[in-house]
Amino acid sequence: MATGPDRDAEAGAVPAKDARRLLGKRSAARLNVLRGIFLRRLSGLIAAIVLTMIVFTAINSFFLTYVNLIGLVRSMSTFTIIAFGETLVLVSGELDLSVGATYGIAAMTFGLLWMHGTPFVLALAAGLGIGVLIGLINAWITTVVRVPSFITTLGMLSLVQGVTFLISNSQSINPPSKLPGFGVFEALGGLEFPFRIPIQIAWLAAVAAIIAFVLHRTLFGFRLAAIGGNPQAARVAALPIRRYKLWVFAIAGACAALAGILDFSFIGSTTPSAGANLTFPVFAAVIIGGASLSGGRGTVLGTLIGAFFLSLLSNGLSLLGVGAFAQLIFVGLVTIGAVALDRWTTTWGGETQSIQL
Amino acid sequence: MTSLQVRGVRKHYGETHALRGLNLDALAGEVLGIAGPNGAGKSTFVRILGGEETPDAGEILLDGVPFTLADRRGSVAIVHQEPQLFPNLTVTENLLLKRGSDGPMRPRATGRERQVLSELNLQRVADRPLESCSLVVWQLTEIARALLRDARLFLFDEPNSALADEESEQLFGHILRMREQTNRIVIIVSHRLRELVHYCDRVAVVREGECGAILAGPALTEEGLARELVVGQQPGTVETGKSGAPGAQRGDEVLLRLAGWTHRRRRFQDVEVELRPGDILTVMGVEGSGARELLQSIAGLEPAHGIREVAGRRDAQAIDAFLAYVPADRRTGLFPNFSIAANLTARLGVPAVASRWGRLLKSRLYALGRQLMGQFQIRARSPGQPVGTLSGGNQQKVAVGSASAKKPRLVVIEEPTRGVDLGTKAEIYHQLRQFAREGNAVLAFCTEVPEVFDLGQRVRVMSRGHLSDPFEVASAGSVQDLAGQLAKMTGAAPKASPG
Repeated sequence: MATGPDRDAEAGAVPAKDARRLLGKRSAARLNVLRGIFLRRLSGLIAAIVLTMIVFTAINSFFLTYVNLIGLVRSMSTFTIIAFGETLVLVSGELDLSVGATYGIAAMTFGLLWMHGTPFVLALAAGLGIGVLIGLINAWITTVVRVPSFITTLGMLSLVQGVTFLISNSQSINPPSKLPGFGVFEALGGLEFPFRIPIQIAWLAAVAAIIAFVLHRTLFGFRLAAIGGNPQAARVAALPIRRYKLWVFAIAGACAALAGILDFSFIGSTTPSAGANLTFPVFAAVIIGGASLSGGRGTVLGTLIGAFFLSLLSNGLSLLGVGAFAQLIFVGLVTIGAVALDRWTTTWGGETQSIQL
Repeated sequence: MTSLQVRGVRKHYGETHALRGLNLDALAGEVLGIAGPNGAGKSTFVRILGGEETPDAGEILLDGVPFTLADRRGSVAIVHQEPQLFPNLTVTENLLLKRGSDGPMRPRATGRERQVLSELNLQRVADRPLESCSLVVWQLTEIARALLRDARLFLFDEPNSALADEESEQLFGHILRMREQTNRIVIIVSHRLRELVHYCDRVAVVREGECGAILAGPALTEEGLARELVVGQQPGTVETGKSGAPGAQRGDEVLLRLAGWTHRRRRFQDVEVELRPGDILTVMGVEGSGARELLQSIAGLEPAHGIREVAGRRDAQAIDAFLAYVPADRRTGLFPNFSIAANLTARLGVPAVASRWGRLLKSRLYALGRQLMGQFQIRARSPGQPVGTLSGGNQQKVAVGSASAKKPRLVVIEEPTRGVDLGTKAEIYHQLRQFAREGNAVLAFCTEVPEVFDLGQRVRVMSRGHLSDPFEVASAGSVQDLAGQLAKMTGAAPKASPG
């Protein structure tokens, strides 16, 4: 078999100095070229972002103001936190459709327990814990009972939504300010740092850093990409598939629960149907960011940029006075178009798949 | 009479010149064989003939008329090395897919399909989904599809690489029958010299993108072919096939012990095996004999019960730590989304490629990958290259390398050199012998007698779920001797005794 067309990896993950030491100067130069290929993928997305920003700014000068951009990042932070968890799930070769429902039940569980006299910290732990628990159940059904995760989490989505309506008696909750711990509760999602930076952005940065480290810098992330890239080979290599997927679903559940609680704090109330609309932006961000639905491929930076692009569109379209329904149509088209364009440009460039490591 | 002429065909990918002006003639009424080391351009030639690729230069004539791309797509039938079929459909449905217009209704098998199915002995599995069938059935289905198509040119690309001897004889029977028709050209691309010599009228040896030699008549012998195939290769890279006897003393430690080892669905029963340091045991068997399942069950990938001790221990951790399994199919052994270095180190963990706290040490991973690339003579530009860009032989070396990277005591390997050229075969055998010499053991499943002859110390034959007594490979003087002995063993009454 011929060696085939030059399709060298984006080996960009190797720090340049290590690469140079290992491979000599010429190969290191080659690695830099390869890193360029990876950046070209993202640079397409970034170019689209810049272009969109120019257009929006030209039409409405308020768009490119500090206040608007800070607000934009704040509004994307919670669904992006969920998207980071989902990125891990996708890299492992699975899907989690239940994150929106988890978001809702976490806030509701926390709020109800707290309002019925449970100490604040315990209630908070219970809210996060239920997210982890849902993740563990998803993982158990997927890996032990062997129901495909699409079906497991689709069922879980409906099940969890039903439970949320049951426990809340389909009423919204509104914690009164005299409850013990209300100050902390308000601060969780509502605090503002100097320069009017909302705390949600700090949460976003923290979760991004943690997940990026786990995915790109640890043995866990390395093996996760292997498991998602070829499950059969992972079995042959005796990798701990079940344990890793348990972790991944638990992390995704925890991310969704955290996001739910942060938004609950920011808004000051939560409804039983909260999170029902999150499935689209979460998946769109992850997919636009370059993760593969068939597993083994996905980056935190990609997801972050994908999420930013989506929020940018919604924000800009709102400023232009485009109605909510038209926005839905537009965002749907852009999502499909972005992935199609990515496919087209990468295939055209001779790069048919990106390589981890 | 139909003839095919290939004139000065060239094709390059980037800097790699796959074909550098290939000339070839084929006539109806003969079987033309094509042999060549891996990377010689055989696969490229097959893709060009099949209309999957266009050559950069040169022409292809059928009966003196240019054989255009559109013609080639329609009238060339290629039976591939790796079957390209629909696993969710039944064997019969796979045959019906390309039949053309039958109206809007679901197509049904007619007499012609049934006839081909029975010729290939596929009636029994005709209505089973392909995914539940063995690889043999896939191959036969692919062949059946080619037989059903009224194609002018039949190209068999390693068609029997996954078939056991009797099945491939059956297959070649069909190929020879095809030769009798005067409007059909039959070409076989293969690594198996014995079959090329046995079934082909002429064999073209492709070397570095050109036709290096054509052997026919009395010159067409296995030795002659083998000599032509290694022309131009540097001395020292090809280790001559010698049987067994690695230099190490056979240790007292038992690395693998199976007793009363029985498959849950009775694919094999009451298997007794004992392997000590320095041992290389090959297990031969036709497809469905249970040999494949035996190896997979030892690795924990097939359900079985009985006693299985690895390095004296029965727990799952011992198997993880001391045993490495290499599957026959490279697609189930490699990670396509990973580079070569990442594939080679995928089975490693703390402390080889990660810190105590689980941080991945990429510099170490690359250094290790590079070292393993050297050790296993994997030819690639850099360790960061995607594993999918390697030739089949080099991919197999990556698979073997990744298994030995974690320093197991026992390697369990299915068909160590499937679809791999001679030079690479010698290298892989050398690696496995070296591994055994270092005080470890190898258990290999082989389907070819020469492989057993080259690799083995001792061989046992699996037939109908029972493992024969061991046979010392060294006591056979030649491959032919060994083949005769093994054939006798297949027929012999099954007996169980430690090997």
